[in-house]
Amino acid sequence: MGAPTLTSEVDLRTALGPLVLATPVMPASGCFGPELATIVPVGSLGAVVTKTIFSARRSGNRPHRLTETAAGVLNSIGIPSPGVATFRSEVLPRYRAIGVPVVVSIGGLRVEEYWQITEELHDEAVDAFEVNVSCPNLERGGLTIGANPDQVGEVVAGVRARTDRPVLVKLTPNVTSVVEAARVAESVGATALTVANTFLGLAVDLRARRPVLGNAMGGLSGPAVKPLALRLVWEASRAVSVPVIGCGGISSATDAVEFLLAGASAVQVGTATFARPDTMAEMVEELPAALGLAGASSVHEVVGQLQVGNDCLADDTLGVPGASDGAGGGRGARCHPTFRKLPTCEAGVP
Amino acid sequence: MTAGGAPTVPDLPPDPTETGALPLDDGQASATWAGSGDAGPADGSLVMLDAPATGARPSLTRAAVVSNDHLGDRYWRMRLLAPDIARHTQPGQFVMLTVTPSGPSNWVLPRPMAVADRDEMQETIDVVYGAHGWGTRQMAAIGARDELTVVGPLGNGFRLEPTTRHLMVVGRGIGLCSLSLLAVAASQRGAAVSAVLSARHREANVLVPFFEAVPDSRVVTALDSDGSSDPQVLGPELRILLEETPAQQIATCGSRRLLRMCSALAEATGATLQVAVEAHMACGMGYCHGCSAWVQGVDQEGPLVCRDGPVFAWLPAGR
Ligand SMILES: Cc1cc2nc3c(=O)[nH]c(=O)nc-3n(C[C@H](O)[C@H](O)[C@H](O)COP(=O)(O)OP(=O)(O)OC[C@H]3O[C@@H](n4cnc5c(N)ncnc54)[C@H](O)[C@@H]3O)c2cc1C
Ligand SMILES: Cc1cc2nc3c(=O)[nH]c(=O)nc-3n(C[C@H](O)[C@H](O)[C@H](O)COP(=O)(O)O)c2cc1C
Ligand code: FES
Repeated sequence: MGAPTLTSEVDLRTALGPLVLATPVMPASGCFGPELATIVPVGSLGAVVTKTIFSARRSGNRPHRLTETAAGVLNSIGIPSPGVATFRSEVLPRYRAIGVPVVVSIGGLRVEEYWQITEELHDEAVDAFEVNVSCPNLERGGLTIGANPDQVGEVVAGVRARTDRPVLVKLTPNVTSVVEAARVAESVGATALTVANTFLGLAVDLRARRPVLGNAMGGLSGPAVKPLALRLVWEASRAVSVPVIGCGGISSATDAVEFLLAGASAVQVGTATFARPDTMAEMVEELPAALGLAGASSVHEVVGQLQVGNDCLADDTLGVPGASDGAGGGRGARCHPTFRKLPTCEAGVP
Repeated sequence: MTAGGAPTVPDLPPDPTETGALPLDDGQASATWAGSGDAGPADGSLVMLDAPATGARPSLTRAAVVSNDHLGDRYWRMRLLAPDIARHTQPGQFVMLTVTPSGPSNWVLPRPMAVADRDEMQETIDVVYGAHGWGTRQMAAIGARDELTVVGPLGNGFRLEPTTRHLMVVGRGIGLCSLSLLAVAASQRGAAVSAVLSARHREANVLVPFFEAVPDSRVVTALDSDGSSDPQVLGPELRILLEETPAQQIATCGSRRLLRMCSALAEATGATLQVAVEAHMACGMGYCHGCSAWVQGVDQEGPLVCRDGPVFAWLPAGR
């Protein structure tokens, strides 16, 4: 299993249910626009993802909307939306013109709003929807929909019922267990899960004695969150059998392969594009070499192949059914055919 | 503008009356105060300029650093080899400059910087910056021949109005960098230029030689150190100047106090007023929505500083 040297020898394809992507690299919602297609190569992307769109026209939050933090960005953009009519006539065609599959990220401030936008985009050339559940639910005092697995289930089931396209569900990391929402989303028909959105944080301007951001709290992204996102991808991918898309702090091909090993079938790149607009194109170019470092010559070979010694401990932590039967059953074993069980671990299982 | 002494990064606290390029005097969030949706001074409002007829597309350049010189006080000038940007930049446009070299970095946002000067023959652009926070201090440590990622030219710059025979530019500190190419363009078109250059003290007024070199220009300096930058002092002085030689157009950048003063001058003399504003930015190209100029209302996104600005028209409240 030598390290492959030629791009042509390496199979970069990956699948999200019926949606086959030429490469596993795509932008994260809100961190990409068709504007970029004029300054960097975008043809090698597996897909493009739109900024989250609402049915109605909306403004974003008060400035400041973003600031830099150590190895990260804190943002409270809100979700400014041109509304579905303008999106259809002006925005979507520019994404389509890029020539790779288009994933439309949808949001809502009420459960029904997600369903409404799905219906409104029913006839459009959309290759997949990504349901952004990190929106506040105005009917529940503004609590994030994604923090409540029942509401995630309600939203996704309704979207699923209204479209035959793949439905990706982008989970929030601001929960005690990402596994719960992941399982619910899978059970109501999600095609794949994007893990994850930004982590809630706060930046303080000591001179003004005020939060830096107009909206006080913001979401943290960038290299600072990479280990957190890797952990969530690992947990979620072991708990479900639908593909997972890794997102959080990815800025190089080696980062991408780390996420593939942890269980992702594809990756999204957000913050890294700001400082280096050609990050994603470069990642695709360097992916064969990075896969080679992991001893692989295709994407599918490495997905979920993280070798973990302490199987039973991890499964216990996750509450994976069947993990305590001592046979290494349940998802862990199925997702990880090459799982190594260390004798010490076996011995520790009652 | 020539290189100064040994490059050292001065460790100075930010000056609250001079926060980068644009009018942010009292540390309030960006330009929110000027929007219809927000409470703010009633002395005027920002209005979007029309989109430029022939906006050159931005490009991504790995630009070699030709020189990086300390100009004085906390100010530096970086000269970058960027042929396309040198060719296409219009007055008031800016670049996004990525400070850190490639590879995973602790610092993830590029810095917006006005193009202070350009040289089509040499294919270079100049960025003049104040070393304040992490990114700009890092810039000051960059040596010649390093390569930086630069995207530009970006934004909607100043409009030199066809009727302008006398242009007055009024800038403070680093805000003058957004006005320098406008002064050059006006002069090239045969207009007279009055350049009002405000700074904390003489050593901080680093762009004086640049504006003095603009043909047909008159330079007025205004300093905190001798009280001449106080709008109560400067305003009447400029009023006299404008009565002698009426200006059809005023352009300002770098201080909210000066914007108020210019607003009163424009209103009194009938000149039009344009202002360059600032905002925290991530993409600089209009897709991240990080740089909203103001909140327009719950159901409509306001203009973006990077795409619809950074230059806006200013309508004094009386008009
Ligand atoms: C269109 C435009 C043109 C500009 N032109 C110039 C110029 O020619 N010369 C110059 O010295 N400065 C200019 N600025 C301001 C300059 O971008 C900031 O001073 C700089 O980003 C601060 O970076 P830092 O590393 O010193 O501060 P840090 O404190 O490390 O910055 C932290 C974060 O906040 C952002 N930020 C902090 N202050 C400002 C600010 N005042 N404006 C915008 N973002 C800010 C930074 O970009 C960064 O993302 C311009 C700003 C804009 C929007
Ligand atoms: C400026 C900005 C805007 C964003 N907008 C959206 C959005 O509209 N919808 C969404 O689902 N996620 C949005 N995100 C989150 C990103 O898609 C991504 O999940 C997150 O930034 C983590 O990835 P990263 O570390 O690679 O940036 C946004 C992030 C940033 C920084
Ligand atoms: S900085 Fe991204 S939209 Fe203006």
